[in-house]
Amino acid sequence: MEPPQPVTVGRAVEALDLGTCVSADPEALIAGAQVSDLLSYVMAEGQRGQVWVTIQTHPNIVAVAGLAGMHAIIIAGGFEPEPETIARAEEEGMGLFTSAQTAYLLAGKLYELGVR
Amino acid sequence: MDTRRLAHHEFPILGRAYFLGGRASTSVKQVLREAGVDDAAIRRIAVACYEAEMNVVLHARSGYMAVDIYPDRVTIAVIDKGPGIENVDLAMTPGWSSATDEARALGFGAGMGLPNIREQADAMDIRTAKGDGVQLFLTFKREVTDDGAPPTGDSGTRG
Repeated sequence: MEPPQPVTVGRAVEALDLGTCVSADPEALIAGAQVSDLLSYVMAEGQRGQVWVTIQTHPNIVAVAGLAGMHAIIIAGGFEPEPETIARAEEEGMGLFTSAQTAYLLAGKLYELGVR
Repeated sequence: MDTRRLAHHEFPILGRAYFLGGRASTSVKQVLREAGVDDAAIRRIAVACYEAEMNVVLHARSGYMAVDIYPDRVTIAVIDKGPGIENVDLAMTPGWSSATDEARALGFGAGMGLPNIREQADAMDIRTAKGDGVQLFLTFKREVTDDGAPPTGDSGTRG
């Protein structure tokens, strides 16, 4: 089996057909992902350059992703971020995307793309 | 231990303001970066500060976070006016939480706060009594080069 190719944020956004609330550097390489709705868990396990799939929509997710040095947050399940969440993501330069797909499916697609 | 304090900053924390939570920690991360603290230390400090800040937000009326940067370490103090912790050993138990259902629904209150802080910090001292708030003191060693100077220049500013 061939080793997975590096996946950029831009490629993931296109392949997963994500809605863009706040864009992120499309050339940034995704260094893995977290799927969780517990903020402390993501704070402890999240790593620089990862993306985070969650159904939480409040502004605190931007603080967590920013402190962990992540590239972007993907809000799954058709949930929409609160206006304050979008404002804070813009302020901190954090990518913020949405999808109607479940977190499970999004995680599977990210893995299939080559995100490890 | 090097006693030269290079910078001191304080950031307020508002109790109950869930959605503002993380602002103080984000500010701390910013000043550490500006002071040239190494990335690994910043990462550990950011995790601990976030958890400590959210403890104040979730449980106290108000508080503040103070950061002191020394050539060989960073110290953080998180002081709050709140109900205090009745049983610190219990609060240190992973999974134990006194957070409200509302907070839990938002993804807080996993009972990982104090255990996460203890894991990240090189030293941790917690002083509290029921009804008397919480005073949390943390020390993080930073990477120092052979000549004793930090890897990159310190700004030396005092906030």
